[in-house]
Amino acid sequence: MIATLTDAAKSYGRTCALRPTTLHLDTGVIGLLGPNGAGKTTMLRMLATVLAPTSGRITVAGYDVTGAYGERVEARRRIGYLPQEVVFPRGMTAAGFLDYIAVLKEWRNTASRHDEVQRVLALVDLADRSTTKVRALSGGQRRRLAIAQALIGSPSLLILDEPTTGLDPEQRMGLRNILSKQPGAVLISTHQTEDVAALCDRVIVLDDGAVRFDGTVADLLATADGLVHQGAEATVGAIQTWRTGTGLIRSVGGEAAAGIERVTPTVEDAYLLLRQQS
Amino acid sequence: MTWHVPRELWERFASGALDGPGQAAVEAHLVECSDCQRQASRFVGGSERLWTAVHTEISHPRPRWPLRWAHYLGLDDADTVILAACDNLRLPWAVAIGGALASVSVAANLGRFQDLGFMLMSPLIPLLAVLAAFDATDILRELAAATPLSRLRIGLLRTLATLLVALPALSCLAALVPGLHALTWVWLLPSLGLTAGALVGLRWLRTWQVAAVIAGGWTVAVLAIDATGQLGHVGGGSGQAIFAAFAVGTGIWYWTSSRSTAQAGVTR
Repeated sequence: MIATLTDAAKSYGRTCALRPTTLHLDTGVIGLLGPNGAGKTTMLRMLATVLAPTSGRITVAGYDVTGAYGERVEARRRIGYLPQEVVFPRGMTAAGFLDYIAVLKEWRNTASRHDEVQRVLALVDLADRSTTKVRALSGGQRRRLAIAQALIGSPSLLILDEPTTGLDPEQRMGLRNILSKQPGAVLISTHQTEDVAALCDRVIVLDDGAVRFDGTVADLLATADGLVHQGAEATVGAIQTWRTGTGLIRSVGGEAAAGIERVTPTVEDAYLLLRQQS
Repeated sequence: MTWHVPRELWERFASGALDGPGQAAVEAHLVECSDCQRQASRFVGGSERLWTAVHTEISHPRPRWPLRWAHYLGLDDADTVILAACDNLRLPWAVAIGGALASVSVAANLGRFQDLGFMLMSPLIPLLAVLAAFDATDILRELAAATPLSRLRIGLLRTLATLLVALPALSCLAALVPGLHALTWVWLLPSLGLTAGALVGLRWLRTWQVAAVIAGGWTVAVLAIDATGQLGHVGGGSGQAIFAAFAVGTGIWYWTSSRSTAQAGVTR
């Protein structure tokens, strides 16, 4: 088991950001879905040892991050973390930024650190931008640079908070390719349901600070089976409807009238239904 | 060609073990001999490896001269990277020297308010210089909080690198101000205490917020002491003992806070 949360909860005063949650994270890519304010970022920050839980216990690679300082440091040696927003220091180059983060990750040997920096730069397709000042990079390139820092040292627990924000479709494909090859557990918070469908072995849906669903993508899709329709009209009582590019109306939930066909649900459909139920 | 570069010579050439004339002879031979040109990549490596090495070298330029000197004097390369991230220490040192000059210039021209002006400004100069050393990377606190390198080590390294310039600059300049003799060294202990307090404050606040809070607090404290007519006595044994206790207390607070569960920025 790479990471566990045991009744881990977080409150800010009277506001409960994450209710007591128990989860076991093993090897593979795990998608974390949920609306804004559901507690996704809080959970990721607690796992990344950035935020202390109000109660409960969190372990990473067997080390109790809520315990002694030494255990927390050991856990950090196994974590790669991409916050939701990364603001870069003034004047640093792409390689200089990664070099600094590599030092913070205890890469003290100069030659191996420089090699690792070049490796992660190449992974995110920024090898030819290594000497470019970060301020001169585009938004997508900066995001990829931020992802690169999380990949330093091939961590056994990779925590990525909305990594695909600002990436174009090609770059998102590239990122999927990188993440699918990561050795340990990869926990991704995202609003891009297609990324979850394409990449994740497991999906966790959070809402209002609690886990509403935990299972495989197939399990999630099964919850929407027979509940998504497409036709000339919307279903009665649908929770969401929209006109597709073909001119037909897609309905999630509701009762279908004659002539309206059932269609295969997507992760987004299943997610919308789950949200409605919760 | 009557001869070709033998294996043993290739290996010495590739490892850089040949002397100058030997290396030049091999290179001169390589220009003429197509057989050995083909052999070269086997021993020396292809152009890809060479370009990777060149690229790595270009991507990681040498640090600026103060850090290069520090490196020659024994500073670890990784520690050099930590200091280079502080704008190569240019801003902290500029604050230290500029602040020292401003502090003594103001004190020298304040007449009967000289002591008050000097005590208001001088302990804050090293503190502001240290905060400037943290300012450049302050925006990475969330990201840095998830990394294993000791916060205490980073804090002490940056503080030491800044104080090495700030303290001598202020001390030397203060010694030049006429009539300030009694207070020339009095600022030192409060300054160390305030600096340690600032390092603790960085756990919750941004650098400029810490600077504002501590500068405001210190100003109020000095004005209060002055109002009681005790400012002239802060250089005495009991005054210095209080400042020493303050410095040690904030230092211990910093040490314990750097090991706590909650890291910088988490309370926001």
